Amino acid sequence: MSPHRRSYTDEYLDPEKVLSLLKKKFRKTSDDMVLREHRGGAANGGSYQCLWVRVEKHRFLDMVDTLMEIDFPHFQITSGDDIGDAIELNYHFSIFRSVGRGKRLGVTVSVVVPKDDLVMPSLWERIPGTEYSEREIREMFGVDFDGLPNKGLVFLPEDWDEDIKPWRRDETGPKPEDIRELS
Amino acid sequence: MAQGTNKTYKVPIGPVHVGLKEPITAWLDVDGERIKDATIRPGAIHRGIEFMARERNPIQVIYLAERICGICSFSHIVAFTRAVEDATGIEVPARAQYIRAIVLELERIHSHILWAGVACYTFGYDSAFNLGMILREKVMDVLEALTGNRVNYGTGTIGGVRRDITPSVEKVIRDMIAFYKNEFGVFYDVVTDDPIAKARMRDVGVLTGEDAVTHCALGPTARGSGLRVDLRWSSPYEAYCDMDVKPVVPQDYTGEVRGDVFDRFLVRVLEVYQSLEIIENALNGLPTGDLMWEPKLTKLLSFLKQADGTGLSSIEAPRGDDTHAIRLTGGEDNVTWWKVRAPTYSNAVSWPIMFRNNELADSPLIINSIDPCISCMERMVVTDRSSGHEQVVTRSELVERCREKTRRLMGR
Repeated sequence: MSPHRRSYTDEYLDPEKVLSLLKKKFRKTSDDMVLREHRGGAANGGSYQCLWVRVEKHRFLDMVDTLMEIDFPHFQITSGDDIGDAIELNYHFSIFRSVGRGKRLGVTVSVVVPKDDLVMPSLWERIPGTEYSEREIREMFGVDFDGLPNKGLVFLPEDWDEDIKPWRRDETGPKPEDIRELS
Repeated sequence: MAQGTNKTYKVPIGPVHVGLKEPITAWLDVDGERIKDATIRPGAIHRGIEFMARERNPIQVIYLAERICGICSFSHIVAFTRAVEDATGIEVPARAQYIRAIVLELERIHSHILWAGVACYTFGYDSAFNLGMILREKVMDVLEALTGNRVNYGTGTIGGVRRDITPSVEKVIRDMIAFYKNEFGVFYDVVTDDPIAKARMRDVGVLTGEDAVTHCALGPTARGSGLRVDLRWSSPYEAYCDMDVKPVVPQDYTGEVRGDVFDRFLVRVLEVYQSLEIIENALNGLPTGDLMWEPKLTKLLSFLKQADGTGLSSIEAPRGDDTHAIRLTGGEDNVTWWKVRAPTYSNAVSWPIMFRNNELADSPLIINSIDPCISCMERMVVTDRSSGHEQVVTRSELVERCREKTRRLMGR
């Protein structure tokens, strides 16, 4: 296996510091990197924070490795959408998951993958827990993952016509005749 | 099938199997009785719910979200509504936050007792299963008294909740807490002290702490492997901001972590006590005030139509971190896209590791870390054993009897 981090850190870094570190390294402005504060409870006090960042596709692995230097990035899920000539993927991670009360920092990394080169580097070697999500994005959007060993269907049936990509909004998406209304 | 010949055979468990409560297939490579490797194939019950949401407005999606799971339906609603609230900046009144926490914990109690009972049944301990089912009825009655339903509660909405905790419901909840404090100990002792139960669960389906980290395990599965992770603690939301909820890990109780089925069992059973304490605290500190950010549905819908943004929410559901992400586009009635990540989605990635070098007979127990869903029956047969009389009850009669019972529980 790879020499990557395989445990959670107990060294906490303030979210503002994480933000400025990432801004500096990736030369980003506040438009591309935003910190959201969540509040709650009877006194409506601050509870935890989430970081939303955008990076170019060629810097994505660098971003994950930078997070890996801070803590093991716990992978939650990839969400995404067909935005016309590209697929936008949002990788939802968490860091400082086991450091202390109210310390978890959600990190969403958004990447735009152009439709003429629908390939992303796989995170499987770094984070094996990404397997199902990468397979899901592959079957639903048609984005290939370079380095993912098992590229089989995960949620779609065995006899699925793989030319149909259910979450796409273009000609590869499901046509009205492919959709069965149950009620 | 001789063991030790280094020749493996493929044995499918599922998609429909007597030891499974939900359809999923595990292809096991076995050498004799020993499992060498496993390949999991989900997808037998994928319903395309996220796709359906694209043709529905956020209020309609609440009802889709509620039907993702019959066990943790309220967890999915809260995760969904919180994602919408994050995208739109809606603030939930304090009283509604507390009621959400109370229902979430009631749901956790029923889910954990159900799981523990079913786990006992999976290794042939049917009397413990029956005891678990009897105990679980209490919390189901409380959920029915509070919401009117046993499964899909219809209680959450964007910006709040739709049911209040009245003094009579509060009494029912407090009675339940007292009941479990007295009665649940029997179940705990029966299972944790029983040498056979221990033998069937100890060192079976082991997931080490390191594998739990790299394979992104969640909830009781991760805590059973010794990881101190719990969203109610690491990123407290809503009413949990006012409560100190500590992750339950086996090392704090037994002094060691083995990451086996027993440790996962222990974590869930102990969490029932934790949930009782949270509910008691929430009832004691229940703030007064509104239940909803905007009670008028048309006003709320027109606000949601104008809203533009992406929202994300993760909450601690009974099986772990339930994550929903959503995108709303200004001027559009319907949800642009919605992504649901139920905890089993992540925990299932760890199954092949749990299977390796275990006995074939333990496979249903290992798989059964998923909670089962119970289908609704269309009709049933009532038999009076003393007279031998049988009567078929139709769906409408059954519905009327259910409503009668709900009215009785709600004290109307």
